[in-house]
Amino acid sequence: MSDTLGTDTATGHRSQGTSRVGGAATSGSPTRPRPASRRRGRAKMRLEIALLSGPAIIMFLAFVIFPVALAAYYGFYRWHGYGAPTDWVGLNNYKLILTDPAFQQVLKHSFLIMGLSLVIQGPLAIVLALLLNQKIRGRSVIRVLIFVPYIISEVIVGTGWSLMLQSDGAVNDLLRHIGLGSLQADWLSNPKLAIWTLMGIISWKYIGFAVILMLAGLQSIPEELFEAAQIDGASYWQIQRRITLPLLGPTIRIWAFLSIIGSLQLFDLVYIIWGQYVSGTAGTSTMAIYMLAQGRNAGNYGYGSAIAVVMFLISLIVALIYQRFVLRRDLRGAVTEGVV
Amino acid sequence: MTRKTRSATAVAIGLGIALAATGCAGGSDDDSGNTGSSGGGKVTVTLWENSTTGPGKQFFVDAAKAYHTLHPNVTVTLQTVQNEDFDGKLQTALNSNSAPDVFLQRGGGKMQAMVDAGQIQALDLTAADKTNAGPAAIAGDSIDGKIYAVPLDTAPEGIYYSKDLFRQAGISSAPTTMDELEAGVAKLKAANVAPIAVGAKDAWPAAHWYYNFALRECSQDTMTKVGKSLKFDDPCWTKAGDDLASFLKVNPFQKGFLTASSQQGAGSSAGMLANHKAAMELMGNWDPGVIAGLTKDQKPLPDLGWFPFPGVAGGQGDPSAIMGGSGGYSLSKKAPKEALGFLEFLLTKDQQVAYAKAFVTIPVNKEAQSVVTEPYNISALQAFNKAAYSMQFLDTEYGQNVGNAMNTAVVNLLAGKGTAADIVKDTNSAAERG
Repeated sequence: MSDTLGTDTATGHRSQGTSRVGGAATSGSPTRPRPASRRRGRAKMRLEIALLSGPAIIMFLAFVIFPVALAAYYGFYRWHGYGAPTDWVGLNNYKLILTDPAFQQVLKHSFLIMGLSLVIQGPLAIVLALLLNQKIRGRSVIRVLIFVPYIISEVIVGTGWSLMLQSDGAVNDLLRHIGLGSLQADWLSNPKLAIWTLMGIISWKYIGFAVILMLAGLQSIPEELFEAAQIDGASYWQIQRRITLPLLGPTIRIWAFLSIIGSLQLFDLVYIIWGQYVSGTAGTSTMAIYMLAQGRNAGNYGYGSAIAVVMFLISLIVALIYQRFVLRRDLRGAVTEGVV
Repeated sequence: MTRKTRSATAVAIGLGIALAATGCAGGSDDDSGNTGSSGGGKVTVTLWENSTTGPGKQFFVDAAKAYHTLHPNVTVTLQTVQNEDFDGKLQTALNSNSAPDVFLQRGGGKMQAMVDAGQIQALDLTAADKTNAGPAAIAGDSIDGKIYAVPLDTAPEGIYYSKDLFRQAGISSAPTTMDELEAGVAKLKAANVAPIAVGAKDAWPAAHWYYNFALRECSQDTMTKVGKSLKFDDPCWTKAGDDLASFLKVNPFQKGFLTASSQQGAGSSAGMLANHKAAMELMGNWDPGVIAGLTKDQKPLPDLGWFPFPGVAGGQGDPSAIMGGSGGYSLSKKAPKEALGFLEFLLTKDQQVAYAKAFVTIPVNKEAQSVVTEPYNISALQAFNKAAYSMQFLDTEYGQNVGNAMNTAVVNLLAGKGTAADIVKDTNSAAERG
C-alpha cells in the first residue's frame, strides 16, 4: 500500500498526504474547498481503477502474456519437458515446421474448416434470422431451440455426437429403422465423410450464435426504411437485397471475423470426437490438435511451442488483414452514415 | 487521461505483485515433505501413485501403515493422481522442485529424460532386494548399469480372450501361429462375433499390434541397439509393418475400430470383451481389471483366458519373447533414504502377496508368485517364465517422441492411409526432430 501513497506525493498533491489517511470518514465534508475535493475525487477514481482492473491485468499478464512469451522462448530449444531447456537450436524448429508435411496437412484442414464454416453457416444464419424476424407462431421457442446448442459445452456436444455417429450408433440405427438403411455410413472414420460430419456438428453448434447476432443486426435497422420501400412498390426480394443485406453488412462482417478466428483455433470438438491420432487420417485434425500432439503427447515441448507461435502468427496475420481490408468501412462507420 | 490510467495501471500491477508474492511465500511454507534430511528424527515420505479407488489404493494405505509400525519415525503420506493426469502433474512437480519423494515410474524414454535432467536418484539396492525383484525386472529399470526404479510387478502382454465365445465359434485351442489366429478370426466372424477388439482412437492399443510383430521379426540385438541410435533401418521394421498390413486383409478388428477408445465405456475395446461383443483383445496385464470394471455386474469376467502373441514364420526374434511394460517406483532427487527403505519393504514377500491380490497381477517376487490363481494370470506367468527375454513397450522403450510418431503411423496404416514403409519413415524423421 505504501506504493499508492508514494505515487500521490510524487505527483505533488501534498495537501492530500495527510487527509488521505482519514479516508472515507471525512470525504463527505461540505466545507472542503472544491479543487481539493476534485483532486481527491481523481485520486479516488485512480484507486478504483486500480482495484477494479488490477486483478484482471495481473491475470492477463500471468495467464496470457507470460505463457505467450514463454512459448516463444521454448520455441528456440529442443526440449523434452524435464528440467530446464538447455539444447538451443535457434530457428531450427521453425525450419522443421515449414517442411513438415503433417503440419502442412493440418494447416490445410484448418483453412478448409474456416472456409466451409463461412460458406455454410453465413447464408443459413441469414435465412434463419430473416424467418425468425417475422411474426410467426412459436418464434421465441424456435429461437431458444436454435440457440441452445451454442451454450452446451463442447465436451458434451462432442461426446454425444460421437456416440450417436458410431458405426453401430443411434444415427445408423435410425436410418435402418425408417427404411433408409442404404444411407448408413461410417460417419466418423471414413475420410470422405468425416470433414462433412464435422462441419455438420460445427454448424449445428454455432449457428445459434450467428442467428442471434444477425437478429440483433436486423432489429437495429429502422422500420421506416422497409415501410418506405414498400410504399415505393419494392418486392420482398428487392427489399432484402437492397436494404436488409447492406444494412446487415457490419453484423455479417463481425460474425465472419469471429468465425474465422474460432475456426483457426478449433480444438475441443475434434479432439473429443476423433482424438489426436484418428483426426489425422479422417482429415479433421487442426493446428491446435497438432500442437498438442507434438508438445504434450510426443514430449517435444520445444517443437510444440514453435507450432504455438506459428499458430499465433497466422491468426494475427489473418486478423490484421481482415481488419485492414474488410472491417475498415465498419470501423469508419461509412456504411451506416451513408444510408441513414 | 492517459497519464492517469498509466499510473493507475502501475498501482494495480504493484498491488498484484505484492499479493502474488505473499501468496507464493505462503505456499512454500507447507512444503515439508522434501527435507532431504535423514537423521534419526521424524521423517515424512510423500508418495504419488495412480490407483485412485478400490483395493489398489487400499494396498498403499495399508503398506504405509505397516511400515510406520515397523519404523515409527517414518510416516508415508499418499497422494493418488488419476492415470491420464499423472505424467503432466509429475512433470510440473519435478520441474518446480516440489516433486514427491517416491512416485510411479513409467520407465523407458521418460525415465531416461528424468535421468538426463538429474531429477531422480540412482538406487543402491541390496543383494536381497535384487533377489526379490528378479534380474529381468531390474534390467528393465536400469540405464547404463544403474537402477533408477524399483519394479513391483511384471506386465507380460498377450491376447485376452473369451473362452465361451471361442467355444461357440468352434475354436478348440488357443492359436499359436498367425495362420491359426486368422483361421480363428474367420470362425468367429461366421459365428457373428467381432473377432478382435482394438481401441485405435487411443493409438497405442493399435500400435501394440505393430510392436508385437516387430518383436517377432526383429532380433533382440536389433531392438536394443535401436534404443540408442534411434535409426530404424533394419528391414525387419518394414517387415513387421507388412505383417500387420497382411493381417488386416482378413478384417480382424471390430467395425468402427478407428474411433473406438480402449478403456472407457461399453463401446470401448475392453468393454466389448466385457460384454461378449468381441472375442479377443491384445493388452497388457492391467486388462482383466479394466474388463472387470466394465462387465454388467462389475465383476471379473469368468471365462477370460490368455495366450501369448502368435509366432510369425521366418522372424529373427525369439518366438518365446514377450512384450511387456516394466517401470515401478522412483525416488526424486531430494528424497530421504527412508524413502528407499519403504520401496525395499514393498519388495518383501508379504507385501508382494498383498500387492498381487490388490491389483490382480503377477508380482516380481518369485516367492509371492504362488498367490496367482486366475487362469489367465497363470498362463501369462508361465509364458513369462519361459520367455527368452522381454521387451519394454516400444513407445516407452524408444521415448515419447519416437513412440508417438510410431503410434500415429500405425493408425494411418490401419486407416488405409499409410504403408509399412511410412511407419519407418515417420519414426525416423521424428527421431531427428526430437
